Amino acid sequence: MTGKDLILTKVTKRFGGLVAVDDLSFHVKEGQIYGLIGPNGAGKTTVFNCITGIHPCEEGSISWGGEEIRHLPTHKIVRMGIVRTFQTIRLFSQMSVAENVMSGRHIKSSQKLWHGVFHTPASKRDETENWQVVFDLLDFFGLREFATHPVGSLAYGIQRKVEIARAMAVNPDLLILDEPAAGLNDNETLALIETIYRIREQGITILLIEHDMDLVMEVTEYLTVINFGSKIAEGTPSEIQANPAVIEAYLGSDDDDF
Amino acid sequence: MIKKLQQLGYPLFFVVMIMLPAMLDSRWLAVATTFVIFTIVALSQDIILGKAGMFNMGQALFFGLGAYTTAVLNSVFGWPLLATLPLAIIIPALFGIILAGPIIHLRGDYLLVVTIGFNIVFVQAVQNNLFGITGGPNGIFGLEMLEVPGLASFQEFTPYYAALGALLVTFFVLHNLETSKIGRALHYLREDNLAAGSIGINTRIYKIFAFSLGAGIAGMAGTFYANQYSAVSPEAFDFLQSVLFFSIVIVGGSSVPGILLGVFVMFVLPEIFRELATWRYFIFGFAMIFTMILRPRGIWPAKFGRIPKAFTDKGR
Repeated sequence: MTGKDLILTKVTKRFGGLVAVDDLSFHVKEGQIYGLIGPNGAGKTTVFNCITGIHPCEEGSISWGGEEIRHLPTHKIVRMGIVRTFQTIRLFSQMSVAENVMSGRHIKSSQKLWHGVFHTPASKRDETENWQVVFDLLDFFGLREFATHPVGSLAYGIQRKVEIARAMAVNPDLLILDEPAAGLNDNETLALIETIYRIREQGITILLIEHDMDLVMEVTEYLTVINFGSKIAEGTPSEIQANPAVIEAYLGSDDDDF
Repeated sequence: MIKKLQQLGYPLFFVVMIMLPAMLDSRWLAVATTFVIFTIVALSQDIILGKAGMFNMGQALFFGLGAYTTAVLNSVFGWPLLATLPLAIIIPALFGIILAGPIIHLRGDYLLVVTIGFNIVFVQAVQNNLFGITGGPNGIFGLEMLEVPGLASFQEFTPYYAALGALLVTFFVLHNLETSKIGRALHYLREDNLAAGSIGINTRIYKIFAFSLGAGIAGMAGTFYANQYSAVSPEAFDFLQSVLFFSIVIVGGSSVPGILLGVFVMFVLPEIFRELATWRYFIFGFAMIFTMILRPRGIWPAKFGRIPKAFTDKGR
């Protein structure tokens, strides 16, 4: 195995008696844009929660760049270069856009706890350097004009951008996007597709869940389709579009009237 | 304009506070001294409650721990008052870590109940003359007071100015906190704990840190409280005191001006209306209710979006 690949092997997650993810395996290669799709309630977000340690899975293995990350807490997984966004935007809504993006710099900053009590020249320099990174990112995402606005008062599409910018501030190797186009209009979705390409150009692997099939078929290179927590198909977008099992899962088959 | 006012605000505040004793008689000087000390405690409570968003209803414990550390070291071991200050900060800070460690994962109301419990245990312990050194229900009397050598006539004002110095140190620490990643991390985890974890913040460590820092600053205030009365007694640190500090932060809002206003409304105003006897609490209760209805985030809530000037000016 080479590079920073994310490999899920036989991952199973149960909530009480309900099997939310069942024996799921897939392999995201470094530099790929990988899609995870499936009908509502198929367990896609649960898979993301397993990978990011929010709801650790009980069985199977999740390997990242050759290391097992199944049992690590969320904040340690972030330190290994895996960052996610949320389906329902989770920003720090009272705080400004710049401060929200700055939160992504947290683990990159060299400040120690005691710098919260007493600044040193080094910690002040670190502070300025990180603000510089934040403002470069705001320029990258075209958010500079909103820098000091409270993020909660901004339009939904802009909040989405801020959340991606915050994740990018961590300098991730793998960016996990949970329905990034949810709630966006057509223009915003087009802009999002462009943003995803620009992020990939920086060598960042992207794993995304999306309901917008146009977006998925356009941007992803490889897909896994899940239903009721287990994989029903995988392949390139064109293969998936022609797969009868996928069509059945989305549209229902003719003979399920009983 | 507001920025200029803020830049002027701190020097102006200290000039007024330095001049203040000249205009006060001894009763009001005592009120002013306590105002300064309570402001320090309320600011320390603000780190835990306002910034990190943890419902701590036991801040009087840390305040009292600092005061008792000073009193015991001075009365039993004969340390000079100023020499007790480092331990009066360190011991409460350590207790903050020890007490917060096992309970930090508790949410809102649960944490509140546990911290009330801690506070009651503390008061019971000192009332029952723990290790025979806390003086029981009467507390410890006849402590040494801070003195300025060669200025015996100044003695009356020493507690006030000593407390004011401590307030200045507190402002300095808070300023550093607000302009560091540590202070921001507290805001992040208050607003959304899960999101804070998802960008790599070890929220547990930062919550314990908030408790520890808040406890240390409250402990420092305790030393100056012991100095003001040259005594400590258990009832000054009971659960009702914690309620006072809690309400100051809630009513005032999580900002330095908010805390100052909060201490003024909750502590100084009742002193001013002392002639009204218990009626003053009636007014004061209504004031609290109306503040919460009209300004749910406090009279002067925290303001965000303070980005270093070098960045906000560019691109405008």
